[in-house]
Amino acid sequence: MHGLSYLIFLPLAAALIAVLLPARLASSFRILSLSVSLIQCVLLIVITGEYEFENGFQLVEQAPWFTLSLGNWGLVQAEYFVAVDGLSFPLVALSVFILLIATVSSWTIEKNQKGYFILLLILNGAIIGSFCALDFLLFYVFFEFMLLPMYFLIGIWGGPKREYASIKFFLYTLLGSIFILVVLVGLYLSVTTPDSSGQMHTFNVLHMQNPENLISQSVLSIDSTTQLGSWTFRQWAFVLLTLGFLIKLPAVPLHTWLPDAHVEAPTPISVILAALLLKFGGYGLLRFAYPIFPDSATHFSWFIAFVGWVSILYGALNALASKDLKRLIAYSSVSHMGFVLLGIASATLEGITGAVYQMVSHGIISAMLFLLAGVLYDRTQNRMIENYSGLASKMKVYTAFILVGFFASLGLPGFAGFMGEVLVFLGAFKSSGVNGFIPTWMAVTATLGLLLGAGYYLWTIQRMFYGPYAVKGYVGELQDINQREYLMLLPLAVAALLFGILPQLLLNYLNPFAADFIQYLSPSQIPVP
Amino acid sequence: MTMELNSQLTSILDSLRYLIPEGILVLLMFGVLTLGLFTNIKSFLIYKTLVGVSYCLTGITLLVNWPDYPQELFNGMLRLDDFSSYFKLLFLAGGLVTVLISRPHRHSSEYFVLQLAIVLGSCLLAMSLNFVMVVLSLELISLSSYLLAGFSEDSKSAEGSLKYFLFGTVATAIMIYGLSLVYGLTGTLDFSSNQFADTLIATHPALFIIAAVMVMVGLLFKVSAVPLHLWTPDVYESAPTPVVAFFSVVPKLAGFAVLIRLVLAFHLFGQSGYYWPELIGLIALFSIVIGNVSALTQTNPKRMLAYSSIAQSGFMLLGVTSLTLEGIQYTLFYASVFLIMNFLVFSVLNDYEDQGVNEIPAFSGLGRSSWFPAVALLVGMVALTGLPPTAGFTGKLLIFSSLWNTYQESGSSLLLVLFVAGLINTVVSLFFYLKIPYFLFLKEAPAGVPQKSSVAGNLFHLLLVLLLIYLFLQPAVLMGWINRITFVL
Repeated sequence: MHGLSYLIFLPLAAALIAVLLPARLASSFRILSLSVSLIQCVLLIVITGEYEFENGFQLVEQAPWFTLSLGNWGLVQAEYFVAVDGLSFPLVALSVFILLIATVSSWTIEKNQKGYFILLLILNGAIIGSFCALDFLLFYVFFEFMLLPMYFLIGIWGGPKREYASIKFFLYTLLGSIFILVVLVGLYLSVTTPDSSGQMHTFNVLHMQNPENLISQSVLSIDSTTQLGSWTFRQWAFVLLTLGFLIKLPAVPLHTWLPDAHVEAPTPISVILAALLLKFGGYGLLRFAYPIFPDSATHFSWFIAFVGWVSILYGALNALASKDLKRLIAYSSVSHMGFVLLGIASATLEGITGAVYQMVSHGIISAMLFLLAGVLYDRTQNRMIENYSGLASKMKVYTAFILVGFFASLGLPGFAGFMGEVLVFLGAFKSSGVNGFIPTWMAVTATLGLLLGAGYYLWTIQRMFYGPYAVKGYVGELQDINQREYLMLLPLAVAALLFGILPQLLLNYLNPFAADFIQYLSPSQIPVP
Repeated sequence: MTMELNSQLTSILDSLRYLIPEGILVLLMFGVLTLGLFTNIKSFLIYKTLVGVSYCLTGITLLVNWPDYPQELFNGMLRLDDFSSYFKLLFLAGGLVTVLISRPHRHSSEYFVLQLAIVLGSCLLAMSLNFVMVVLSLELISLSSYLLAGFSEDSKSAEGSLKYFLFGTVATAIMIYGLSLVYGLTGTLDFSSNQFADTLIATHPALFIIAAVMVMVGLLFKVSAVPLHLWTPDVYESAPTPVVAFFSVVPKLAGFAVLIRLVLAFHLFGQSGYYWPELIGLIALFSIVIGNVSALTQTNPKRMLAYSSIAQSGFMLLGVTSLTLEGIQYTLFYASVFLIMNFLVFSVLNDYEDQGVNEIPAFSGLGRSSWFPAVALLVGMVALTGLPPTAGFTGKLLIFSSLWNTYQESGSSLLLVLFVAGLINTVVSLFFYLKIPYFLFLKEAPAGVPQKSSVAGNLFHLLLVLLLIYLFLQPAVLMGWINRITFVL
């Protein structure tokens, strides 16, 4: 059974086939892309059947990739190592789901369909590959592999300022991945496989998590006393890794690429960016930074919580001030990702569960919101909030969906967003009592984020949907949403509701993971020199 | 006296049979020259085939006669070992690719004679153990390069050629002056000999450091490292593109081959009065930073690549900085990958140039009408930046690994600075490496530009692209070979 490999390489193979097809078969490319997504859905259902909740990493596929000699320093082996656990499985499922919807949403793309769908397929494979990879090098390769397709997808098919937005996105993300690369190099040179008596270096993330595999006295080992400034190398490595992932998350003040990229990207790409690419921030912290450097992670937990706290409030305030609907949703993403950071920093069962829950629910809800913003933009080519009023009278179904999306996003009980945020706050409050990673004032004031969230969403509803109907600069009849849009929005709305009412659907996956995870961070487990 | 002469003659005769590849090159050089001077054969294609086939033959001879153990030839003038043989193979490969992408020129035979002379000089330089031999082979390369740089036959090309000549002769003069000092201090011209090392270790003359730096000037000039890079942009901009591609690989790698040997010799097994990795590291740092930053504002593709080539030299110097066998092996890996990616980029640019695309804005929208050359160029640029999934990434990863390891062993903070600066420069370099793809794909094409791309050219580019991806997926194939290279000074 190579379920994960099929999931990863099917889109890449399809991209290769698409390269060989002539460009004049314009619309067949979207059919190819759609069939790939549908097959992935079937594969996902098969995989879900095989997944057992309590078992750690599953569906493991492990094969040597290459072995290089490092001369005096022994050998290094890279592996093709993919597997899923309670953290990555929900994210893989989310990816397949969102990519299917993004493909349907790409139906309206007219310009150079061949190029567009090839890039979309490559992006598809790279996203799922990154979530599954447990070899750091393999992860890095998939991770970098997302950059170029994304750059071109924004740069060619985006809005008026697309060139600026795409290069800004690329440079920011590349800077982040350079930070990660620094740590990657340091780690593989410090970590050897357990049974090789220090000769076989490895990229295996699971080996990296065990401090016994670190070569004694190497700069990243626990017992190393070498310092650079006031931090040890382990702390530096953690900071760099975290910075790399915080750019991706994005956390304030490293977030400025996000509003530009979102505003300029075409709707399906905005959806993928918000729903999936941002998740690599949280995923990277939970998969790499925290488990590999638990000692440094607890050392910096106040700082991480603080960045999360700032992101929550700053993102919400910016959303409140945004005049552009897409920009508003982008800033609300920054705010919501701040909750993820707060949950992770708490290092409690509730907080970690809540952080991943928030990632999944934000994936569903932000996808829905960007699709809704796209629906309006498709009709009027205008995203300014002030130009609309009274839309409720003309677009009834659209308004219904907007209400579902906004309420889900602001954390109304009964929707997925509520579960994630509540768990994060439980974790944050508990943390101040249990391990002291998050001070109480931070947990208390972070709730302001919820209040502001309600503020900017309700205000937007009031401005755009109530009152007398008027759309500035647009003549003609506004059409309510069509069948294709309905087909995309309905599953998302249902999912947002489903995970709000039946949290157990997701918690069954998350709880075992979170329980394992906090083991690493409990004071008795933290390695001391 | 007669006995001594006799033994010297036998040694020379014995040595000759190890130089069959060079022999073929010499014969070919004179053959092509004779054909050009005394016959009416003007067809570029005939020369092209002849030289191309001969490069292949030479390569095969080299592989068949691969040295099992290091051989000292001509009384310690040259050493034939794995290290030099590997470089020779790279030079021949570079020569072959240059022949393949060369465009007809009215001075066909001269064009190839000069090229052959450079390859021959590079092969000899990679084997040199003696300062006299270093200077002779370096001058063989230089004199031919000055002429070849002017082969566009316009005023700009003449300017580039003259600048190259003026800078080059000064660099050589400084080098020779340095050599005279080194000779005076050590009493020997053989830098691999015990006498050379013993004298210096025993006396530690302060003058030696100055003299050694002067010697390195000539070589740093060839590899276009900062601050001896000034000729590079002018020459690259004005010379014919295949020649530029050739310059950026063959003479540069030849410079590296002897530079590695020399730095190790000057290092005196760690007993030198000066910590040479420091100087090499600083030169590497400045080359990377100045090369990348200057490339940012260029609008001429070849000028941009000239600065890129300066930065790439810096990266290769980073590999040398550690002065370990591993570091040198990684440099060889990077050099091999550099050969592939650089030729890929220049070859595609050459095709575009044939269609009159000379400035970066002129690339606007061309990637949409004919996508394959554009994608090949993108892969080449991505490889030069050092991103996966290309072998450029593997090469950089290995070089940074060697830096990290040396840092762990020595604790020198300079290495840490190099490590960080090198990585951050990857981000800077992305900005200009993506400039041409940006115009190719993101800009709209002006109306009515017909685009054509030749099938043969596309296949050749496809081959190079696949090679870059294959070496990324299976670096062990090449690394396994390089790992067998033992290195004795």
